[in-house]
Amino acid sequence: MQRGFQKLHSVILALMMMLVLVACPSASPAEDSREASPPAGSTDPAELPSGEGTSKEAAPVNSAVNFNHELDSYVPQKDHYNFYFTYKTVHPWWDSVALGMEEAQRQYLEKGIVVTYEYMAPEGASAEDQTKRLMLAEHRHYDVIGVDVADESAISPVIDRMVDAGIKVMTFSSSDAAAGCKRIAYVGNTHNYEDGADLTEALCEKLAYKGKVAILVGSKGAPCHEDRARGARDTIAKYSGMEIAATEYDMDSVDLAYTLTMQILKDHPDLDGIICCNMSNPVGAARAIKETGSHAIIVGMDHDQEALRYLNEGVIYCLGVQDCYSIGFDTLQVAVKIADGNQPGELFPEKTNEITTVIYQKDAAIMLELLYGDI
Amino acid sequence: MKRKKRITNRTFLLTAVIGSFLIMAMVTANSIWSSNQTLLKTEEAVSAVSVFYLDTMADRRAQTVSNQISNEFDQMEKALAFIRDEKIESQEELRDTLGKIRSLLSLNRFALVDRNDIVYTQYTTYTGKSRHEFLSAKKMDDRIISTVSLYGSSKQLCLAIPTPDLTIMGKSFKACFVQIDIQDIINLLAVDDQGRTYFALYTKNGSNLSGTELGPVISNRNILEATKGLVSEEVWKENCDRFAEDARGSMTFSSGDVKGTMCYVPIPDTGWKLAVLIHESVILDQIRDISEKNLSTNRNQIVFSLLAVLSLSSVLFLELMALSKDKLDAEKKTSKAFQTMANTDSLTGVRNKHAYSEYEDAVDQKIQNHEIQALAVVVCDINGLKYVNDTQGHAAGDQLIKDACALICESFPHGAVFRVGGDEFVVILQEKGYETMDEALGKLNKKVEENINEDGVVVAAGSSVLQPDDRQLCDVFTRADHLMYERKSKLKALGAKTRET
Repeated sequence: MQRGFQKLHSVILALMMMLVLVACPSASPAEDSREASPPAGSTDPAELPSGEGTSKEAAPVNSAVNFNHELDSYVPQKDHYNFYFTYKTVHPWWDSVALGMEEAQRQYLEKGIVVTYEYMAPEGASAEDQTKRLMLAEHRHYDVIGVDVADESAISPVIDRMVDAGIKVMTFSSSDAAAGCKRIAYVGNTHNYEDGADLTEALCEKLAYKGKVAILVGSKGAPCHEDRARGARDTIAKYSGMEIAATEYDMDSVDLAYTLTMQILKDHPDLDGIICCNMSNPVGAARAIKETGSHAIIVGMDHDQEALRYLNEGVIYCLGVQDCYSIGFDTLQVAVKIADGNQPGELFPEKTNEITTVIYQKDAAIMLELLYGDI
Repeated sequence: MKRKKRITNRTFLLTAVIGSFLIMAMVTANSIWSSNQTLLKTEEAVSAVSVFYLDTMADRRAQTVSNQISNEFDQMEKALAFIRDEKIESQEELRDTLGKIRSLLSLNRFALVDRNDIVYTQYTTYTGKSRHEFLSAKKMDDRIISTVSLYGSSKQLCLAIPTPDLTIMGKSFKACFVQIDIQDIINLLAVDDQGRTYFALYTKNGSNLSGTELGPVISNRNILEATKGLVSEEVWKENCDRFAEDARGSMTFSSGDVKGTMCYVPIPDTGWKLAVLIHESVILDQIRDISEKNLSTNRNQIVFSLLAVLSLSSVLFLELMALSKDKLDAEKKTSKAFQTMANTDSLTGVRNKHAYSEYEDAVDQKIQNHEIQALAVVVCDINGLKYVNDTQGHAAGDQLIKDACALICESFPHGAVFRVGGDEFVVILQEKGYETMDEALGKLNKKVEENINEDGVVVAAGSSVLQPDDRQLCDVFTRADHLMYERKSKLKALGAKTRET
């Protein structure tokens, strides 16, 4: 019996040792695979339709500017191009166009094609200055010269003469040359008149088609500005209750736009609205309106960050936003084709149309984020 | 007097089981309590640790950005030295030189600016006054660090160095600059990130520069607007002021189940703030994970240890029971041996006087209780023992006693034989012994008479049976003893040795 107990004892002790070993698991280090959350992204522009046409609210606001471009299938004939572009005035609007051009240049570089260019403008819009620049450029053997026409009556003959001399000239961005000009092609806004009319229509509707308004224009003679002002005037003329109290030119200067607006408000304290035909107009006008506490309603052009903030605050009623980035990208792409001796047709149109989208207060925050990451 | 309760095996087993369960419950409860206390204390410590941890992390990341800026400036100085050594005569040569700088010094978007604010890069030349904010300054005496928000939501850090003595192609140049995409800085900082914290860069007014989310609550919104309402108005305003200044600070806030701690530090010369946020649950979860794993291990160890203790106790208990039984058996055996020794005549092996006394007591009790109906006592005495002792020695005397005992035992096989004196034996007869008493006595007497002539052992025997009036065994004994003496006289007459012989 004693032997039996010894055996049982041994078995139970062995079992206990096994249990204790099982109960002591090896410590494993704390594992953490906490992943960081990805930042909120804006809508991929690649998924958005590349709209064409005039300013229509139907276009989704976040497709107003398309930042997702790829070069088309055209194969350039050279591995180096050198261009000269001149535009109306030093202004953020054309800086936006420049970014689109730089993206096209980067994509060409990836393909082994070097594109160099000059992108120059005077401090203030001047047909005389532009003429001088063109006359200097025509002797420097650029593959293509691009012009954003400061004054169509003054610049169109210069362009014609250059083309006659065998120089390849195109127009781009905001203003085309006069009808019948020999420039090879135009890339940019082709519906400035409609843009002016659309903005004015929105203002008239807001004012119930009754009120006194002022028109701020940019540079005198600048086709885009003048076309928009013309579109505004024609729209106002449709409604008997609407009246134009003043028309002023700010020469693409925000400060001047502010000063002019202050003067108009002083002369017409009962002003009901202001139609702004360029990028600097609505900024200066909004500053003045905010400062004076006037109830005048502002409609204007373009995507200036300050203007978009005024839109967000409700100081500005609506803005017509042009797709500057696409204008720049397409300009460089068309320039390469022109440099290779191509003419408008299958490869590119004689006028490349770019969209304008009218946006309102509800769209301002989205546009600020889309264009400036301003959140 | 209170009767003492007897401890049984069942009681012992019950005590062992209940005791084990009580110990198990106490150890488990103590472990759980200790664990909970540890977690509570840990939670208190986490808040303090979070701020310290984040503060250190924010400093380290801010230093990373500062180092990057410093490194970029160093590279720009090298680039300027390189340009000064080059004899640049045309725009093409300038572009080539800028290209070399880009590839040799890894300076992206390195550019020069002339007195007319014309910007020269490797591929483009453009009027840049409206594009580069630092060019709006009337005078540029020192390095400038500025933030550029580009159309298309890209944000860049612009680093510029004045170049008052730089002249190329006959043109006087005012500055050189580089633009670092903030996304590159984020990528640099993200290398340092372990995925447990959130970080973002902000302007002084709280706008998010980096586009990164500072946790799900603040997300990528303006940090000052996002934190309004999450903390007290007083704390919020204090932090707004700190944010606008070059000051550091921290906020701890709760939103739903989320408790977060956020620290921000200024990045020198940039006007930026780097904010780092951690959810306390991250630290707490990690500590809790470790604690719970330890607790689980401890629980298992306790359970298995208790099982082991219980098993060991059971084994020990069983062993103890076995040992106790063995000991008890041994004691019983020893006791029996002692008892046998105390009641046995050492010379003859039959029961002795002491045994007879005990037997007599027991029989007396039964007689009084009328439990015995038939009983006989035979008293025997050895003739000539003294003579043998005196003449042949005690050894011969002892042998005579043994022979006499043997004769008595042989004669009364169904009787209880006691040696009650030196030469005196008593035989108690019951049941079969009682029934065969006369036959046995006759046989004894016959043998004794034969032995007288053969010089054998002679035993005088007298017997008596229990009478109804007898109250004790002694009564029967007395009568038997008397008859024994009568017989002794007869035997003497037949020639048996006597004391006097």
